[in-house]
Amino acid sequence: MTDRILTVDNLSVRRGRRTVLSGVTFGLTRGETVAVLGPNGAGKTTLLDAVAGIAPIAAGTITTAGRVATARQSADLARRSASKNVELALAWWGVPRHERARRAQAALDAVGAQTLGSRSSVALSGGERRRVHLARAIATRPDLLLLDEPFAGLDHEVRAGLMADTASALRGSAGSVIVVVHDRAEAWALADRLLVLLDGTVAADGPPRQLLDNPPTPQVARFLGYTGELRFPDVVLFTRPAQVVLDPAGEFVGSVRRCTPLEDGTRIEVDLPAGFLTTVTPVEAPPVGADVRMRVTGGVRFAASAVAAGSDRA
Amino acid sequence: MSFLWHGLTQAWHLIVTGDPYLRHLIWVTIKVVVVSTAVAIVVGLPIGLLLGLGNFPGRRLGMAVANAGLVLPPVVVGLVLSLLMFPAAPLGRFHLLFTLRGVYLAQILLALPIVVALSAAAVRAVPAGLLAQARALDASTAQVWALALREARLGIVAALIAAVGSALSEVGAVVLVGGNIEGSDQTLASATIEQVNAGHFADAAAIGIVLLGLIAVVIGVLTIIQQRDETSLTLFRSG
Repeated sequence: MTDRILTVDNLSVRRGRRTVLSGVTFGLTRGETVAVLGPNGAGKTTLLDAVAGIAPIAAGTITTAGRVATARQSADLARRSASKNVELALAWWGVPRHERARRAQAALDAVGAQTLGSRSSVALSGGERRRVHLARAIATRPDLLLLDEPFAGLDHEVRAGLMADTASALRGSAGSVIVVVHDRAEAWALADRLLVLLDGTVAADGPPRQLLDNPPTPQVARFLGYTGELRFPDVVLFTRPAQVVLDPAGEFVGSVRRCTPLEDGTRIEVDLPAGFLTTVTPVEAPPVGADVRMRVTGGVRFAASAVAAGSDRA
Repeated sequence: MSFLWHGLTQAWHLIVTGDPYLRHLIWVTIKVVVVSTAVAIVVGLPIGLLLGLGNFPGRRLGMAVANAGLVLPPVVVGLVLSLLMFPAAPLGRFHLLFTLRGVYLAQILLALPIVVALSAAAVRAVPAGLLAQARALDASTAQVWALALREARLGIVAALIAAVGSALSEVGAVVLVGGNIEGSDQTLASATIEQVNAGHFADAAAIGIVLLGLIAVVIGVLTIIQQRDETSLTLFRSG
């Protein structure tokens, strides 16, 4: 018998007249962490709400084995200390009183909030609130934990720290996790498996590295950061910025359309007769309109017929 | 200004000699405050929670009624109640007119909308995300309500203070329903009116000063209760 925690079969969810999710099918085994990634409006939060039993289901089935806890997107805490907030969540969950303080401290330790226990919730920063919010959900030790954008609204540095602590806390827990993320980097850091939602359907489901290297469709490729597309007679080559190098001896020539300064260089978008390419270079950017030569070191190919005409390039 | 001075010395004299008239006024006033506030809290708080947290048809209408009740003129409430309490009227058989029980009823009706409207507004101001999070971690309805009450405690105690304040200082309905009968249902506030009407300004000032003292003590205690938790939630504490 497989240790299935969750089976979602052909799920459809409507909000008013709009179909937000349709034909969503996936499963989760015990101990697995799945990141759900998708653009705004793809149905990520609706999927979590449906699994949590909050959103009514229009069609299909959701079968869960065990208890489900959700850490919602907003990290609202009660007006009491951080550890009392976690203990309160354990009271809701039905944990006996004598176990609460110990489990609350363990959960705060797990998310790197060990020093926050006695602090009042109103004296916590945004990042600290998120840690306590996360500890509150982790402390319940559910069979299935649903996290809705656990790093929303945090600045880069705080997010990186919390992400690392969350990743280790999730790997240390025995339960399964579905985490909705907005940023691809969060998915790589946290998940064993990635579920890409596009327009309310599962567009890809697999290990993050595998999906990144071999996206199943052009739409998924574009969503996962393939920002270059070169059309050949039968195929279209999709490239990521790291797979395109400025090289005076390169085989492709194009003119620079746009340059965007980044922390560690410049992102350069180049128009070619056969399409467009994007690269990130640490050297000084050429001026807009200048011709540059490039070399392509990798990418994925799709049949030209599979790539919609008039593609929405980034 | 001599009345005030005279009133002050008179008040002091009445208090230190344990004047039976004053003691009775204080006792009746405290009974009216305790009974009307207790009933208004027991009945009004669940209604306020339901209106503040619930989502059902008629919720807005309920809020509108409670808000309207906040500004009901006590004299009108007293008039309608006393008409209803006449022997041949619907409440006549309960013999409430010109009794302390009638005063309790009038004061409960005045305090009830205060408790309902202010507690509904207080729990409505609790972040919806916090209550939704409680439900997402399997909190029961009773636990969600307890959380909302605790989070809204500043506003809830404010509702309590307003209800107590109304019972302490209200005269319109009390006089009309109770008849302002000395030694029976007369309160400190309604006795002040009687003394003024009789031209006993120093006595009126003395009773008024005692009433102010009672208000200061009661509201002071309630404010300490209200602010007690807030001092342990100061923003800049660390460690």
